[in-house]
Parts: sequence; C-alpha cells; structure tokens
Amino acid sequence: MHHRLLLRRGAMPVPPPLPPRTPPPGVARPFASLPPPPPLQSRREVHVWYVCPDELNDHSHLDMYMELLSPSERKNALSMNGPRLQKDAMLSRALLRTTLSRYTNSKIDPRSFEFKKNKFGKPEILWRSDDSNMEWPWHFNISHTSSLIACGIAMDAPIGIDVEEKKRKTTKSILSLARRYFTPSEVDSLAKIADSDAQQKEFIKLWTLKEAYVKALGRGFSGAPFNRFSIQLKTNSRIQITKAPKVCNDSDSGDYLSENWRFALTELNSSYYMAVCIEDNSRGSENGSVPLGLKVWKTVPFIEDTLVSGTDAVKLIT
Amino acid sequence: MAAALSAVVSAKLGCPPAAALGSWKGSRISSRNLVSMKTMTARRGLVSLRSPRFRVFCAAKAETVGKVMQIVKQQLALGEEAKLAPESQFTELGADSLDTVEIVMALEEEFGITVEEDNAQSITTIQDAADLIDKLVAGGGGKPPAAA
Repeated sequence: MHHRLLLRRGAMPVPPPLPPRTPPPGVARPFASLPPPPPLQSRREVHVWYVCPDELNDHSHLDMYMELLSPSERKNALSMNGPRLQKDAMLSRALLRTTLSRYTNSKIDPRSFEFKKNKFGKPEILWRSDDSNMEWPWHFNISHTSSLIACGIAMDAPIGIDVEEKKRKTTKSILSLARRYFTPSEVDSLAKIADSDAQQKEFIKLWTLKEAYVKALGRGFSGAPFNRFSIQLKTNSRIQITKAPKVCNDSDSGDYLSENWRFALTELNSSYYMAVCIEDNSRGSENGSVPLGLKVWKTVPFIEDTLVSGTDAVKLIT
Repeated sequence: MAAALSAVVSAKLGCPPAAALGSWKGSRISSRNLVSMKTMTARRGLVSLRSPRFRVFCAAKAETVGKVMQIVKQQLALGEEAKLAPESQFTELGADSLDTVEIVMALEEEFGITVEEDNAQSITTIQDAADLIDKLVAGGGGKPPAAA
C-alpha cells in the first residue's frame, strides 16, 4: 500500500522513518490511536468524516478533544455564544486535527498542525518549511449544521463541502430568497415547481451546491456571489456550472469562475443534503463521465469509526 | 426584553448630553480597543471617520443597534436569555451563510434599505450592521452629514 502510494507519486525515494512528535509535557497521550484510512486513490476521490455533536457527551472524551486544540482555537471556541455552540466549535477543530493526522499515518500529531487563511478567509494547512516531514498533498474543508459537523479531504485538489438540513425552514419565502441571491434561470426553474415542499428541497439542494462551489474556489459567499453563476441540476446528468450573463456596468467580471469542477450531491442519514466540490483537472473526454468518488465515515475520534458509504445512510443524488 | 430595551433607550434619551457623550465615549474606546486587537487598520480608519457622525446620532445609533439585536434573535431563534452585544459576530451566534442572508433581508425590510453586495461583505457583527443601516438610512453615502 505504502509502496503503491510511492509509485503513484513518481517513485519518490522513501524518506527515512521519523520518530513521532513528542506531545507537550504533561499532556497524556490519547489512549487509542487513530486508525489509518484507506488511501485516497486518485484526485477524483474525496473522503468525508462526520461527527454528531449530540451523541458526544462523555466528559473525559470532550476534555481529550479540547486538549488537541491550539490556544487560539480554544479561545475562539469559548467565544461562541453559549455552551452548545462552544462544544460544536471545539468538536469541529478536533475533527479536523484528528482527520488530518490519519492521512499522515499518524506521523503528525493532531496537536501539531498549524493553519493559515487565504485572503478570503478560507483555512489552509500551514506547512512549516523547517519541517522535516514532507509536505502532504491534502486539502480540506469543514461544514456545520446544528447537529452534524463534516470534514472533507481531497488529494491535490481544492475542495468545498456543505451540509444543510433537508427540511430547513427559512423565514423568507423561497422565491424571494432566490430572486435576491440566485440567477434568473435558477429562479425560473424554482418557480416552475408547484409543490412547496419540493420547491423548498430543490432550493436547499441548489444552495448547498453553490456553497460547496464557492468554498472550493476559496472565495466564500461574499467573494463569489451566488448570482454570478448558475447550477443546473438534471437527473441522469452531470451537474453543470455556467457563468451568469454579465450585467451592464458590472465591475465584477467573474474571471475567477471556472467550469472545470466536479460535484457530488448526497442525502445523508435521510436528514441532510451534503454537497462536495473539487477541482477537475482531468483531460480527455473519456474521463469526463467518471463520477467523483466519495467515501463517508461517521466517527467518534479515537473511539469508533463507521464506514457509512454503501449503506442506506448515504444516498447519491447526482 | 423589549421593555428593557425601551428603558435603555429612554434612559439614554433622558440623559444630559454631556453624560450621554461620556458614556458613549467609553463605549467607543472599548470598541476601538477591540478593533485594534483585530489589527484591522482599515477598520481603525473607519472608526475615526465615524466621530462627527456619532456625536450627532448617538441616540439613533443605540436604537438601531437594539432593533438589529431583536431581528438577529428572531432570525436565529435565540432564546430571550441569549446575551448579545454590539460586537457579537453572527458566526459566534451560530449563523451560517443562509442565516446571514436572511438577516440582511430582514434588516432591509425593517429599515427600508437595500444592501448592495459590496456592503454585505463587511457585515460580520451587529455593530457593523447598525453602522451600515444608519449610513444608508441617512443617505449620506459615507460622508458626514452637513452641519444642521
């Protein structure tokens, strides 16, 4: 497995084995290791790990996770309004650190990762130049709902992930939200849906996909406004992105929008829509129809992992 | 809470101007420190630009902040016990992007304004929203209003 990984990387010489980083003195080493995941097979594959905060209530586990955070992460988590949001923020960082550590085969301790943000606020791994470890090819993104936190991992490709509750209620009407934030063609397609429940679900699907796309671009909601691009959701067809027609006197040329992106939209636990988006650099039309490969785990870090891909918990929509 | 907010607003309106200014100035200093802690020089510049305007509209400012808090609580379904402050960030209150756009739309309806995309980008706290609202309502385009 490791050998195959090296072959795929162009037969790089095997680096000398490194001792695992010593945790800070006084901090007990977690009592179990993180099982290594199956390796990401290609740039077209994405792994997703998620936690359900309401099911994680063991105080010793929560204390262990809190210990994984950096001082600034701890401070940020505690600045959230109320204990529930504080717990979610803490679990989000713990999930990220433990997940990234898995993909280094535990060569990098969860506590050792450092992060930076691009100019739009998208978090990225900060690889220290003085690190003797080689730079790993991982990209990540995180998404929260009030009851589920997901972390997506991709190899050598920017990634965006968004999770929304299927039955999420909005205080504004679907069409007023769409008119305000979507493109005219998307408003038209939503307006044609007579059943209000079906219309609401379609809106949430579009929102989830658009959010995953702007997160993958690394620009976020404000840096890539949703009314600059359209998403076409057709059954039995690949999800398409098109740039919206340029508005007269619009200073935003939309040059940052590109169309070579690959999506997966799934239904998770019958309760959520999850959209994943990665950059697609495949060449040749023969590869064009290969779908994004998605593997999903539910996890209690250090305690239990459950592969949910291939079960009723994960249903691929398109 | 609404009654409490009214009491707060009435108290501010009833205060002698000097005392009100003093009280607000303290709040301003605190706000400036927060901005400095974030090391956002652009924001610091904006703070100084606000000075003339803030002296004239301190009561309106407090009223606007109170209304924004009410709308945010409604949109995020926060309980009455939730403690909001002008510097509270929407993300610290659990808002995601769909929550935030609903808040913006609710504020537009309440105050009869339209928030352009560029302005929407800068709204991350309750104070940000209130400042932008007062600016848009006054129609000053960012310039201090002419002396009455």
